[in-house]
Amino acid sequence: MFKQLENGLRRAFEKNRRHFAENGRLEKFKPLFEAVETIFFIPAIPVQKAPFVRDGIDLKRFMSIVLLALMPPLFFGIYNTGYQSLAASGGELRFLNILTSGLITVMPLIVVSYVAGFFWEMLFSVIRKHPISEGFLVTGLLFPMTLPPTMPLWQAAVGISFGVIIGKEVFGGTGRNIFNPALTARAFVFFAYPAQMSGDAVWVAARDTTVAAVSGATPLAMTILTGSFQTLEAMLHDAGFTLTRLFIGNYPGSVGATSAICCLIGAVILIVTGVASYRIMIGGVVGLLATSFLIGIFSTASLNPWANVNPFYHLAAGGFMFGIVYMATDPVSAPGTTVSKWIYGFLIGMLTVLIRVFNPAFPEGVMMAILFMNLFAPLFDFVEIRLHMAKRIPNV
Amino acid sequence: MKTVKVKKGWSCEKIAGKPSSEVVDRSAVSRVAAVPVAIPFIKPRLLVAEGDRVKIGTALFEDKKNPDIKFLSPGAGKIEKITYGPRRVIEEIIILLDADEAKESFKTFQASEIAALDRQDLIAHLMAGGMWGFIRQLPFRAIADPKATPNAVWITLGSADPFQPAAGVYLKNNQSFFDLGLKALERLANTVNISWFDTGSKQEKHDIDITPTHRIRGGFPASDAGVVLFHTKKSPDENQDWYMDGQDVVVLGKFLQTGAYPTDRIVAFSDGTSDGCHVKTRMGARFKDVAAGKASPDPARWVAGGLFSGYSGTADTFLGFYETSVMVVKDPHQGEFFGFVRPGFSKLSNSRTIMSTFFSKPLPADTGLHGEERPCVNCGYCAAVCPVNIMPQYTYKSLYADEIEDALKHGLLDCVECGLCSFVCPSKIDLTDFLIAARRRYHKELQQGV
Repeated sequence: MFKQLENGLRRAFEKNRRHFAENGRLEKFKPLFEAVETIFFIPAIPVQKAPFVRDGIDLKRFMSIVLLALMPPLFFGIYNTGYQSLAASGGELRFLNILTSGLITVMPLIVVSYVAGFFWEMLFSVIRKHPISEGFLVTGLLFPMTLPPTMPLWQAAVGISFGVIIGKEVFGGTGRNIFNPALTARAFVFFAYPAQMSGDAVWVAARDTTVAAVSGATPLAMTILTGSFQTLEAMLHDAGFTLTRLFIGNYPGSVGATSAICCLIGAVILIVTGVASYRIMIGGVVGLLATSFLIGIFSTASLNPWANVNPFYHLAAGGFMFGIVYMATDPVSAPGTTVSKWIYGFLIGMLTVLIRVFNPAFPEGVMMAILFMNLFAPLFDFVEIRLHMAKRIPNV
Repeated sequence: MKTVKVKKGWSCEKIAGKPSSEVVDRSAVSRVAAVPVAIPFIKPRLLVAEGDRVKIGTALFEDKKNPDIKFLSPGAGKIEKITYGPRRVIEEIIILLDADEAKESFKTFQASEIAALDRQDLIAHLMAGGMWGFIRQLPFRAIADPKATPNAVWITLGSADPFQPAAGVYLKNNQSFFDLGLKALERLANTVNISWFDTGSKQEKHDIDITPTHRIRGGFPASDAGVVLFHTKKSPDENQDWYMDGQDVVVLGKFLQTGAYPTDRIVAFSDGTSDGCHVKTRMGARFKDVAAGKASPDPARWVAGGLFSGYSGTADTFLGFYETSVMVVKDPHQGEFFGFVRPGFSKLSNSRTIMSTFFSKPLPADTGLHGEERPCVNCGYCAAVCPVNIMPQYTYKSLYADEIEDALKHGLLDCVECGLCSFVCPSKIDLTDFLIAARRRYHKELQQGV
């Protein structure tokens, strides 16, 4: 059965190859043909230059590991979105209902993100005559997972288009971008459509039309909205946000980024396979905990509720874990040298806390923190490479 | 004895078909050849033509840049054919051997005579006797400059690549020749370092009756002279050190003692199965004569000089001046179905995304690229394996932008051309080839005095 499918596909590709070859009818769409073919078959290309043996890994494998690591937060996100939606509109909270409801909300966002993004990816590949890069598979999934479930689909399409074109292709395509394309896309919709990206009315996708807007504040946002409080812990606790719940992530929030636990599973996959840098992740977590701890010591007055809080609340709440595990570790926009990775991660953690504490206009700081550090990554690399050069015994 | 541990690298023990230490005599061959194209940096000028008759030790060609450096015939008989490649580069000078081979004779030396010999006379003798080419100079790995005096000469015994001949095998019964060769090298430089790659085998320790100055541990390519030098050098003066392979020292000693051009070679042969062994054969033997009619996979690639830095050909290609290993590996003929989602228990890899990395079972190599070329995503896999601490991804980018000065500061000349960066690259970028090309360009510029 499996063998038959394989042979059938092999024949189909061989038969149609000539149309996409030079002077074929569809020569222009060769990148598309190749992209589809290589999903099914790793091409048999014999190496012409030494070394005559090559590693079994390729970029497709590399990126599919990231997709695999994204599965826990994605599945949890689908479930959680469905759950919040049903709970708000008073639906029956049975597993199948929750799943269906979640899928109905989340899948359109993912499909739109992939289709719109792939269109641009394809267009640039055809014009530039280079193969379609696998990196987009990750960008196209990361972006919708950071959106509120109520996001209008057309805005998601505009967002991913911005991310792919301005975030990546204008710099020359994969491997040359300075910002993470998925975060660029998110930053764009965040500033272009603030009404759909922030506040307390967007985080629950209730399909019941009688409920105009379901108020479901995220733990990060609600502290700003509420007036008086004793301590943040107590207030969060009153609202039902225990530390455990924050870690598990079953609260209203963006589609796939609420669960710290699921991101942790993803982080383990990425670190064990060596696909993403553990230095950035650990650096980030340490930076976040250290900064919030220090701020906690020095701020007695309740300037901002998030200033004086158990550091683990910072770790669990919001999208920090998602950002540091999946976004900050994008190898293209992160630094490539060892010490720089630690510093880069640490500063992301630090900036996240600083933004959360001192800039209440942005309840979620990790997006800005990563984009900001993306900007500095080449500088870190530059300095570390210079230091590395200085250590070598010259050989010219 | 200093111990040098090289942390970075990759263990070639993961490749199946390691040759056994058994020696098989396959030195009865009908043809041998000289392969000028496999000697880097020389400009060969032919001294013979097709149809000429030559003896063992007759000069076949010389280097136009230094006509004193001769390359001699590894066989006696008729020049059957001279093959040319693109731009008329001389590929092979094929000699059809006589049944009874005649030899040119050279002056013979005893150990005491060498010690009394003038350095310049010794160099002239080695150049005329076709031995000079075996001595090479870092960092470019060109043939040593006879006018220079190096800080040290390195002799590399054994290899971190298990598909190269083991030191214990080629030194057996040849110890006296090695000692004589060593004497000659001591006349060339003040220091002669013997760097011995310790495979951990007790048998080999027993077989070798030499006191090395450096004991090397680590994965491939820790045994390379360039790697050892990188990890031991204290100042830039050492960058131009000379080096020579252990087996070539034996050849040198044999030449000095017998006065004849030695044609014997121990070559490691492997076809990926347990049939791999050490073969006693001739210098410049044909690949299929080394394999002695062993059935090869179809389609197959024949590689001389190791999978990572050798050259490839067919069964009818000949061994070059430096190459001492022949390997037969499978060429891929069919795309792998859903290859990127398979767990990969049977794929060679340095990456933990492939399941085989978690097991130590040796796996067969093939010449497939296992993917397609993509832009560099700065994953840093190359920097993680580079034995001389270059960060190849950045060196590659500075060369891409024509910043040769930057690339040199990155350590371009420390590069030992081992091929590991190309091997591990998930984007399938030919990093090694890119770096080698840049090194050759720079060498050319230096030669021209630009």
